[in-house]
Amino acid sequence: MKIFKEEPKIKFINKRFYAFALSGLIILAGVAMFFTRGFNMGIDFSGGTMIEVSLRENTSVQQLRNMLAKINLGDAQITQIGGENKFFIKTLASLKKLNLGNSMKMEDIEEYEIVAREIRNGIMDAAEREQAAAGKIDLNNTAEGEIARFLRDKGIADEDAKESARLAIGLRKSKTGIIGDFSALEKAGVKHRVMDLLRSSAYLGKFTFLSVEFVGPQVGKELRRKAALACIWALIGMLVYIAFRFKFLYGLSGILTLAHDVLIALSFILFFNIEMSLQVIAAILTIVGYSINDTIVIFDRLRDNLKIMKKDDLEAILDKSLNQTLSRSIFTSLTVFLTVMSLFLFGGEVIRPFAFTMLVGVLAGSYSTIYQSCAWLKVWEKYFLKRKKS
Amino acid sequence: MDKSMTWKVGLIVAVIALSIWLLWPLDKKINLGLDLKGGMHLIMEVVTDEALTIQTDMSVTQLKGLLKDGSIKYEKIVRKGFNKIEITGSLLDDERKIKDILDDDFRDWTYTVGGNLISLALRPNIEQQLRDQSVDQALETIRNRVDEFGVAEPTIQKEGMAGDKLLIDLPGIDNPERVKSLIKSTAMLEFRQVISGPFLTEEAALKDYNGQLPDDLEIVKTNPRRLDKGFYVLKAATVVPGKDLKSARRAQDEYGAPAVGFSFNSQGAAQFEKFTAANIGKQLSIVLDDRIESVATIQDVIAGDGIIHGRFTIDEVDDIVLVLRSGALPAPLKYIEERTIGPSLGADSIRKGLMACLGGLVLVVAFMLVYYRAAGINSVLALLLNMLILMGIMAYFKATLSMPGIAGIILSIGMAVDANVLVFERIREELNLGKSPKSAIDAGFKKAFWTIFDANLTTVISAVFLFQFGTGPIKGFAVTLIIGIAASMFTAIFVSRVIFDLTYGRRKKLSKISI
Repeated sequence: MKIFKEEPKIKFINKRFYAFALSGLIILAGVAMFFTRGFNMGIDFSGGTMIEVSLRENTSVQQLRNMLAKINLGDAQITQIGGENKFFIKTLASLKKLNLGNSMKMEDIEEYEIVAREIRNGIMDAAEREQAAAGKIDLNNTAEGEIARFLRDKGIADEDAKESARLAIGLRKSKTGIIGDFSALEKAGVKHRVMDLLRSSAYLGKFTFLSVEFVGPQVGKELRRKAALACIWALIGMLVYIAFRFKFLYGLSGILTLAHDVLIALSFILFFNIEMSLQVIAAILTIVGYSINDTIVIFDRLRDNLKIMKKDDLEAILDKSLNQTLSRSIFTSLTVFLTVMSLFLFGGEVIRPFAFTMLVGVLAGSYSTIYQSCAWLKVWEKYFLKRKKS
Repeated sequence: MDKSMTWKVGLIVAVIALSIWLLWPLDKKINLGLDLKGGMHLIMEVVTDEALTIQTDMSVTQLKGLLKDGSIKYEKIVRKGFNKIEITGSLLDDERKIKDILDDDFRDWTYTVGGNLISLALRPNIEQQLRDQSVDQALETIRNRVDEFGVAEPTIQKEGMAGDKLLIDLPGIDNPERVKSLIKSTAMLEFRQVISGPFLTEEAALKDYNGQLPDDLEIVKTNPRRLDKGFYVLKAATVVPGKDLKSARRAQDEYGAPAVGFSFNSQGAAQFEKFTAANIGKQLSIVLDDRIESVATIQDVIAGDGIIHGRFTIDEVDDIVLVLRSGALPAPLKYIEERTIGPSLGADSIRKGLMACLGGLVLVVAFMLVYYRAAGINSVLALLLNMLILMGIMAYFKATLSMPGIAGIILSIGMAVDANVLVFERIREELNLGKSPKSAIDAGFKKAFWTIFDANLTTVISAVFLFQFGTGPIKGFAVTLIIGIAASMFTAIFVSRVIFDLTYGRRKKLSKISI
């Protein structure tokens, strides 16, 4: 199968101004977004508490917000995870805000821990709070070792305690992460004696914390600097390598194209309010390394063609090189696009910001390789051709 | 099959066998990251400034002793900041002698002499060395404690550019609270001279000094569980630092109450002996993690060992012995990041990661087969081998598979076939130019090689920067990406070529190939 029966003859270079204008517009809109709304900073960068919670009963964002409002955290950022009964709760709140006083001098991260505990209290309903106060353990929010120890303390043999805890945690590895009722435990094979004990001294909470993360404020500052530095160094690395393998102007065109891809990716992150996190930075650095590949393929061909087509003008040579490598540019990007698409669709919420950034980056990279990498060479044609002749 | 083919095929078979051998059994060889199996992830900063402060205080004490021995008069010797010492007084007469002492015994320090003031500063390379040492020691200590507490397969390593951060991964952790307090306890055991006390409030303690405490003194709280709640004024400098503690054990005091027994190493013993001899009748305090555990009057010269008595329960004695045994932390720790992943999130991520992997694989394989037909089979074989090698190398390096790592693998699937695409497109082009299939294959591989090499190298360059920048899981992503790309150089160029040669090599007349 071939998409191009023969070599296409598309004139790319004379459309360069449209391409520059289109990219310029997107990036300008991105800049405008940056100054108005700014990035949605994840706790990697802003510091704070981030909790992923799964609830048993159908709950809306508003209902959850009402629960948190009881502890003055109504303004926490709450995001529902695509159609499921799972939510991200993100907050930068300090103790002062929770009216818990702040007399103790403590590290910020300890404050975050208390905030997390308060959020747990906020989500608990009256019945759960009563059970907890009575010294019962919540099988949906207790760690494996803790459950085992609890049972041991209540006189269950070590082996049985461990096995029962393992079974309970096994049940929590389901999609919701919540054990619905005690009969599920019984079915899973928890012994009668243990079951009797659990029924009387444990309860099944209506929610579970899937993950709890705290990041101290000093991390973000350093990370922002390091992320920017890593991106800049990667770009410089590309420039040096291409300048070394080709010529300086190729290198310059290459990194302008790359900078374009990064800016477009950042713009789309802003448009869709994607959370800035470590993995998004990883995606951007990957784009820097990957989207240059197509450009190199074209420059390679261009170098050959400059030798062969000595009589033609630069624009014709550039167009010829682009057309000759067009199917390659498209298909190499397509294969990666397909895999990233799969990651985006099936990989789950955790990795979606990464996949989104990569998707945008791969598309932008493919487009900019075709419409811009060579167009930049046309822009400095004067210097470029002079070098060639000398 | 000619000779060169024999070794090529042999090499490929060997690589396959090696990868399988490295990977077998799968569940034992691939470590899952915390984000996949659940557990607790901590990043802590070692406050190395504090370690330097302790070291500088020791040097101040040492310097005082040396000047006294040489009967050199001075007004004051104080620590400035964490790495400077100032000697003041009319030092002009003894300048020569002081210089000699400094040259002989303070080689780690630079000094400037200015009339009535001699300033010492720790040499930068020594300072860095001390910082590194304190981080290493903290790491070792925490490893001991975590091991002793019985966490299975913990990861404890240095982190960050400055190298002053520690990453601690505790998979399937049982009790976050207790482990955390165990790690956090600096177990900084210090023996410090008591100046005055006890006082009920900090203000009362300050009264004697008109509210302004001299530099070499400090007000320290008592641990209310051992002593009556209150404050003492202590010398800021420690008599013997915790690192000179050799061992700790459960002991009893003369009334049979639980107490913590300890022994010094030779250096600590010598120092302690000297101090106690000079201070009989004075009070000595034992400070653990900035809280006074015990205050005792020095009755006699003490050298090698002693006991700390206080209102301990046996459990408390055991806990203190555990942290003392595992070694003192040379400096306090600051938590800067903590992530706890529950069991269900990890299980969910594994399911989804596998799903995405399969999805990506199916899409790419379908595309390659539809678009390149028979040659597509070739690339699919190369791709599968690529995956096998990638996993094998990861197993060999005991790499940890995290969600970003899975993303790296998925990305590798897409990137690995890029090399195939470049080669195949080139072959098609050569065929269009009218070349025979054999020479087209030959030219296709040859001409595409440098393009593939350049393209892959740039990806590796940025992955290296990513590795430098990232923390745990992100590093895992960078590593999988680099390994995947390296493996694809082998599979897409070498293996794929061999498959072509095996398929078409023996045919005398080859007029058409499926590509």
